[in-house]
Amino acid sequence: MYNLLVIIFAKILNVFANILCKILHKDNGNMLGKIVKKLSPDILKSIKIDCPVIAVTATNGKTTTNNAIRYMLEKNGKKIVSNKEGNNMETGIITTLIKNCTLTGKIKADFVTFEVDESYVPIIFKKIPLNTLVVLNFFRDQLDRNGEVESLILKINEFLKTYEGNLILNNDDPNVARLGRANENNKNVYYFSVDRYKYAKDYQTEAGEGKFCPFDKTKLEYEYYQYSHIGKYKCPKCGYGKEILFTEIKDIDLENKTFKESDKNYETLANNIYSVYNYAAVISVAKLYGLDAIEALKTFKLDNGRAEDVKVKDCETIINLAKNPTGANVSLRTLNEDKDEKELLFVLNDNSADGHDVSWIWDINFDVKNVTRIITSGTRAYDMAIRIKTSGFDIDKIEAYLDLKEAVNSLYKTKTKKYVIANYTALQPIRREIFNERT
Amino acid sequence: MKELKLLYLYPDMLELYGDYGNIQVLKYRMKKRGINLIVDRYTIGDKAPDFTSYDIVFAGGGADNEQSILSTDLIKYRDNIKEAVKEKVFFLLICGSYQLFGKYYKGVEGNIIPGLEVFDYYTVAQPDRKKRCIGNIVLDVNLGDTETKVIGFENHGGQTFDIDSPFGKVLYGNGNKFGDSEEGFFKENIIATYLHGPLLSKNPVLADYIISYCLERKYNEKIGLEKLDDTFEEKCREQLLKELLK
Repeated sequence: MYNLLVIIFAKILNVFANILCKILHKDNGNMLGKIVKKLSPDILKSIKIDCPVIAVTATNGKTTTNNAIRYMLEKNGKKIVSNKEGNNMETGIITTLIKNCTLTGKIKADFVTFEVDESYVPIIFKKIPLNTLVVLNFFRDQLDRNGEVESLILKINEFLKTYEGNLILNNDDPNVARLGRANENNKNVYYFSVDRYKYAKDYQTEAGEGKFCPFDKTKLEYEYYQYSHIGKYKCPKCGYGKEILFTEIKDIDLENKTFKESDKNYETLANNIYSVYNYAAVISVAKLYGLDAIEALKTFKLDNGRAEDVKVKDCETIINLAKNPTGANVSLRTLNEDKDEKELLFVLNDNSADGHDVSWIWDINFDVKNVTRIITSGTRAYDMAIRIKTSGFDIDKIEAYLDLKEAVNSLYKTKTKKYVIANYTALQPIRREIFNERT
Repeated sequence: MKELKLLYLYPDMLELYGDYGNIQVLKYRMKKRGINLIVDRYTIGDKAPDFTSYDIVFAGGGADNEQSILSTDLIKYRDNIKEAVKEKVFFLLICGSYQLFGKYYKGVEGNIIPGLEVFDYYTVAQPDRKKRCIGNIVLDVNLGDTETKVIGFENHGGQTFDIDSPFGKVLYGNGNKFGDSEEGFFKENIIATYLHGPLLSKNPVLADYIISYCLERKYNEKIGLEKLDDTFEEKCREQLLKELLK
């Protein structure tokens, strides 16, 4: 009864909050969830969800994959409730559900899809039923905030020991595929994999985690690395690395943005390998529920700083979020695969949400090709400049500005194609500066 | 052409926070001055290295799991390492390696992980796993002839005791223990510290101290290092020192 009153109160609060936010032009984010959680810490248990809940977790690619799954389901005529803005901790999930439930706390939809922060998976899904969990990857990420990757994986593994729902796993990440063995009784484990792509390497060129077999600590042998530690591996001792595949992506052509799965041809708008992995997860979800992903992936557009492609003063500008070494490495990989001459702007902040520790930039492989100038900006612009200089890039072609506006002004002094990489709190401010430049 | 040889220990296991950055900085600053740096890597399964044949030995920090795997391997080389320390080979030891070179590491459950016992200090894990010394840190460091402020980042649960000659006085941050006034361990040829990741990147004076030390030891003559363009480093330091020591 109390929880029902909390829901009604929250719904009324939401109406006022929305009006206030419209007036102030602000996004209320997780506020609602924060208040509701204070009033009733277990409110999630009181929300009635009768449709399947699909959740995506990973270090990188949560927002994109969740939005692509939502888009795919909508293209199939389904009604969806989703945390599409990326508020992925408990308060964010509460906010999404309160906003979309009836006054009696019911969710009326065909599917609920969530992106969920890795460490919140066990917390949230103790309280709400989960039909399908998708796990994409685990990379080192803001270690001063999140701790070691291994402890994060163990938390999810512990949760999965008693989970019997669908589990969609990236077979090419040894730290993800291992989760399929958490519960031997779960017969609903589905693996996806992506075939070797053109720029895969025989040796590791980027920082990664999957060095040892999670079962017997033997060094894993890799046939190739797609990026970071994602690739084809095998444990020479126990044979780990050979799961039966549910989804197998083949014939990856990044220039034409096409690939194949089970003899079906897919066209997409994304030209990078990590998007192909995200889409492999989307296709797996579609297959599992007997739906089609071909039409959806044809028109699913990346935006909001996820390989976002915009024109500014006649200059093609590609903006990409990178919160950790792998995020930055895959962005630079795309830059290097692009044969045009280009300039790079790298924005690095060290606010609380970014992690105060910027050591991770030394795990970035800065071997850049056809780059004529690099500008650094953000609160740690100088750290970034030192990093780039030490990699051997000509010091006279590096400029550092603490101020974003100065950085963007300088960036558009030339007509060369631009790549912009920004970390978490830097992304929206730099996008605003870039879009200001456009008008 | 002058040349130095560096031994990089367990690069595939002790590489959590971009510690390799230190080697990159050394290499960069040497190359600019026409000095070559040879980097040999050693990890489990490789042929045993002779520590005394190197000018610098570098080891970083790793995840708990990796660290327990390699400590049993490293102990095999204890005598050779002690000899190298005695012969004044330079050792730069970061975080987990700093701990490993001490007497022991006492875990949360009271379990003792034996160290190399090269130095007399020991480390005790902080009982509350969630409590760690995490954050920016600034030290006042005296390197014999040179004084400098060292800027870095610490992230450790272990509390290290019985240090007779610390690396620096803490001006901002924690140090060897929560709220300590001292950080790390220092002897002319040893720097062992919790300042992880690319410690040398923001501290060119420290980087040059190591280079000079190794060159003078090897070539047995006073060597003046050419000044480099450190504009970014200077600006970075100015900004951080202003922010942290206000």
